[in-house]
Amino acid sequence: MLEYVIKRLCYVVATLLVMSVLIFLITQIMPGNIAHLILGDFASPADIATLEAQLGLNDPWYVQYLRWAGAMLHGDMGMSLSMNQPVSGIIWGAVGRSALLAGISIVLVAILGIWLGVYAGVRRGSKSDHAISMITYVNIAIPEFFWAIVIIMLFAGYLRILPATGYASLDEGVWNWMRHLILPVFTLVTGLIAHVSRLTRSSVIDVMNTQYIRAARARGLSEKRVIREHALRNALLPAITVLAIDIGVLMGGVVVAETIFSYPGLGRTLIYAIQHMDLPLLQASMMVVTFVYAMANLSADLLYAFLNPKIRYGRGRDA
Amino acid sequence: MKTLFRIASLLTAATLPLAVAPTAAAAPKTELVATINSNVNFFYPGRGVAAEDYNFGVLVYNGLVGINEKLELVPELATSWTSDSAAKEWTFKLREGVTFSDGKPFEAADVVHTFALLADPALASRARSTAEMVDHIETPDPHTVKFVLKEPYGAWPSMLIERQLKIVPDGHTAEQLMKQPVGTGPFMLDSYTPGDRLVVKKNPRYWEKGLPRLDRVTLRIMPEDAAKIAALSAGDVDILWNVPLESIQELKGMSNIHVDEAATSTWDGFVLNNQLKPFDDVRVRRAFQKAVDKKKLVQFALFGAGAPTHTPVAPNSPAFNSALTFTPDIAGAKKLLAEAGYPDGFAITLNVPVGRPTRERAAVALQQMLKDAGIRVKLERVPYSRWGATIAGKAPFYMDGYLARPTLDTATYPWYHSSGSWNKQMWHFKSERIDRVLDEARLATDPAKQVALYKTFQEYAVEDVPGVVMYTINFATAYPDSLKGYRTHPYSWMDLRHAHFE
Amino acid sequence: MPERRNIRKITGLHVGLALLLFIVAIAVIGPSVSPYEMDATSLEQRLAAPSAMHWLGTDEFGRDVLSRMLNGARSSLVMGFGATLFSVLLGVPLGLAAGYFKGYTDDIIMRVIDVMISIPPVILGLLILSFTPPSLWKTTLAVGLVYVPIMVRLTRSVTLEVCGEEYVQSARARAEYNWYILFSEILPNAWPAIIVESALRVTFAILLGAALSFLGLGVQPPASDWGLMIAEARPFIASAPWIACAPGIALCLTVMAINLIGDGLRERLDPRLNRSRA
Repeated sequence: MLEYVIKRLCYVVATLLVMSVLIFLITQIMPGNIAHLILGDFASPADIATLEAQLGLNDPWYVQYLRWAGAMLHGDMGMSLSMNQPVSGIIWGAVGRSALLAGISIVLVAILGIWLGVYAGVRRGSKSDHAISMITYVNIAIPEFFWAIVIIMLFAGYLRILPATGYASLDEGVWNWMRHLILPVFTLVTGLIAHVSRLTRSSVIDVMNTQYIRAARARGLSEKRVIREHALRNALLPAITVLAIDIGVLMGGVVVAETIFSYPGLGRTLIYAIQHMDLPLLQASMMVVTFVYAMANLSADLLYAFLNPKIRYGRGRDA
Repeated sequence: MKTLFRIASLLTAATLPLAVAPTAAAAPKTELVATINSNVNFFYPGRGVAAEDYNFGVLVYNGLVGINEKLELVPELATSWTSDSAAKEWTFKLREGVTFSDGKPFEAADVVHTFALLADPALASRARSTAEMVDHIETPDPHTVKFVLKEPYGAWPSMLIERQLKIVPDGHTAEQLMKQPVGTGPFMLDSYTPGDRLVVKKNPRYWEKGLPRLDRVTLRIMPEDAAKIAALSAGDVDILWNVPLESIQELKGMSNIHVDEAATSTWDGFVLNNQLKPFDDVRVRRAFQKAVDKKKLVQFALFGAGAPTHTPVAPNSPAFNSALTFTPDIAGAKKLLAEAGYPDGFAITLNVPVGRPTRERAAVALQQMLKDAGIRVKLERVPYSRWGATIAGKAPFYMDGYLARPTLDTATYPWYHSSGSWNKQMWHFKSERIDRVLDEARLATDPAKQVALYKTFQEYAVEDVPGVVMYTINFATAYPDSLKGYRTHPYSWMDLRHAHFE
Repeated sequence: MPERRNIRKITGLHVGLALLLFIVAIAVIGPSVSPYEMDATSLEQRLAAPSAMHWLGTDEFGRDVLSRMLNGARSSLVMGFGATLFSVLLGVPLGLAAGYFKGYTDDIIMRVIDVMISIPPVILGLLILSFTPPSLWKTTLAVGLVYVPIMVRLTRSVTLEVCGEEYVQSARARAEYNWYILFSEILPNAWPAIIVESALRVTFAILLGAALSFLGLGVQPPASDWGLMIAEARPFIASAPWIACAPGIALCLTVMAINLIGDGLRERLDPRLNRSRA
């Protein structure tokens, strides 16, 4: 097991290294000249050339890369070209806010998703199982951006009981801050819950059919005890790995929801950087997003390995 | 599991009413919240490039000369001005008793410093060309400045209202001002969270007694239109700055909300690159001009919040040539195209900037109109990050638009004169008779003669057709009835000195 | 009892197929039977509510929403199926190679896959599409690229399982050509899992493609992709909700149809696969 963990960790480090080179290269070949963007439409070629020399843009790409990578490792992420603020301040602020939203959402997804899945799985074939299946079926099919727009229109536009943006700073009061979070959390949770509950459900069904459970029942244990103490542990395995991945998704992959709710999280910062060709901000955000995503995937793999007895005890293949 | 569910539902039931209930209604307040669309990126006004920067500049700084909602010049940091007979040397008397927000008194040296910064190529200010019109500045005493221009320029005071020409204190570099802005304006910077909000507070040293009447102004950064409207109707914000044109009617229908719509000379148009085929032939350009139904464009692109026009000259200017009309003529357009060698029309790509909804809508309508004339238009949207490098001045056919300019000369020369700065980045247009008439108009000191010359210019412009100016766009802000002392400004900045709640 | 099982079979897979066929039919013949040109603007008819003249109302340009819907079916289906096809064509061979040859081949392929999978899908699409003006085909390719890693991983793990089987071991021992083994022994056993996963992928591809179009990175106006229609309808969601709801519901129905097919296929092709993998 330890060997597996170390191997995976090395892979993640290698991945991040490769990603950093890739990200840097991508920003080098993207169309649009930074100096041109900073100086604006009226800059003379001479002005642009001076600024390029100043920014060190004429050095070979690997020199620029090493300079950038070195600075990053020291925590210096450079200055945002479009916002004239240090990038690290912008990024850590965005990370904090994304983490907040992700944290609240994942807890709700975990609790509600697993509970729904177990409830449905245990009552397989019943009316409530079918009802929950129907709902999750429809839920999976709804595009997230459409859903967000509809609930904004409903709750903020029509009923006027909730605000239409996702973020209010804490200085304006905790209740106000919470009110703003309700709709984005609701959108994100409903987007992820169906998958988790369906997975849990089929997992529960499989486990409930195994010899192990039949034996426990035969021993006379109550159904509740059977579920809680024996079935759950094994059934939750796939769901937990999905949840780990979902944390990554919530941190960096909910760009569309962040855009619609004007939530200043990591995804939106990234889109902003791409749209404005703000290369320092773009490079730093991409690195942070891929780091979080890679860590989330790694945790999912490790959790799966840890909880899956085959791998834990050294037998079986790489998951 | 069941207990968990019970606990969860109890918690929800307990907190939901609290969470959903709106925050308590405030007593008559002295703090105002306005929405802006994106970050304020430049605290030093000389480098401002976007409307958000200009809003900040107006709150925190002053210029020598101001312009009110009726577009009249008013004294600001300068109390009066005169020129010599050649309109080459301009003497401005400066207001006494003014201090910057850090306590430093305002004097002539600050004006000199401001212009020195603006002229610095490294700062790349948009107003650099204005600063370069000045040969040198004399300061006979601490409260008088004398601009000695390189060329005579009758409208020099009008130039000084420009957004980048706010006065900054001597001894502060642009970098310092970018971090810590120091101005003579009614407010001063309190805090800034990029992506969230910018807060300014009352400047206790402001020179207009009794103003501003507000203690604090918060600019909330809200790019989403639906969010802005919801916030305004919920009372979370007080001023919705830059009402999306499609929502003007909806907001007008709301009780307690007042929509203040102002006509401006901000214009949209489409650019035909005169150096590229097929637009090097004036007949093709005239054909495009004939095919366009500007009244319909105003409806489609602006939802009626604007007016058709043919020139950047402001519609309420005495120099506006109202004799020139714009009726579409598809048959005439086809005839011109046939004459130019395109009897069956041709196919062409129209570039549209992403994030400019009026131009995006105009492009869709334009595509249909040109189709009737045999021109098959393919729309291609390009984000602004790529615009400068690939489109401006290079693509044959694209949508463009510009904010209002303070003088007749600055509204026309850069676009229509063959040496004009915008011309060289846009349609590469050259017309000798237009060059002549613009040069003459610039030097004219008799207002009547100026008017006549600019009217002639407009006649030439619709015949020589560099591209087509389609319409002017209204600008609107919305606010609750309880807000007094504030009007929408045609230059789209928010003048909040007299604003207060009742 | 057998009768009940029969009915259940008809309900799932067949409903899905019927629905999908209907949508494909719309995509194919829709444009020719639409009552109006999809880009025909009309000032007088702007933002009109659904009526006899315009069954689904009109948008802010006076264009008939129904006609635009019929025309928009095509791009969603192309993006969904095209992207999945691309990811299968690229991902399956790579997964087979990784699972069969193991060793360095496996390591290299999986590291590349690890890098790709570290980027959230929308971000990857955004990056790819910021290089060149987006279009239907470029977006389809970008979405396909996003899902290659998953196809590789899936094919690889199925291959690994099958490789352990006796008949494969014996074929290898007999020194049969690798090609032969791959195509006649491994692939036929891997197909069921691949097909089921592909069906699921189509739904994700449709939704990702719609999201990219929503962000302006897919089909360009005045084309009427469903995601794009929803984006354009946003300012009018309160005053003219039909403009956004029609394409939104259409997307839901399409995805549901394909999900039904996917689930039905899973039940039929391989009962073992009733457990969904993470």
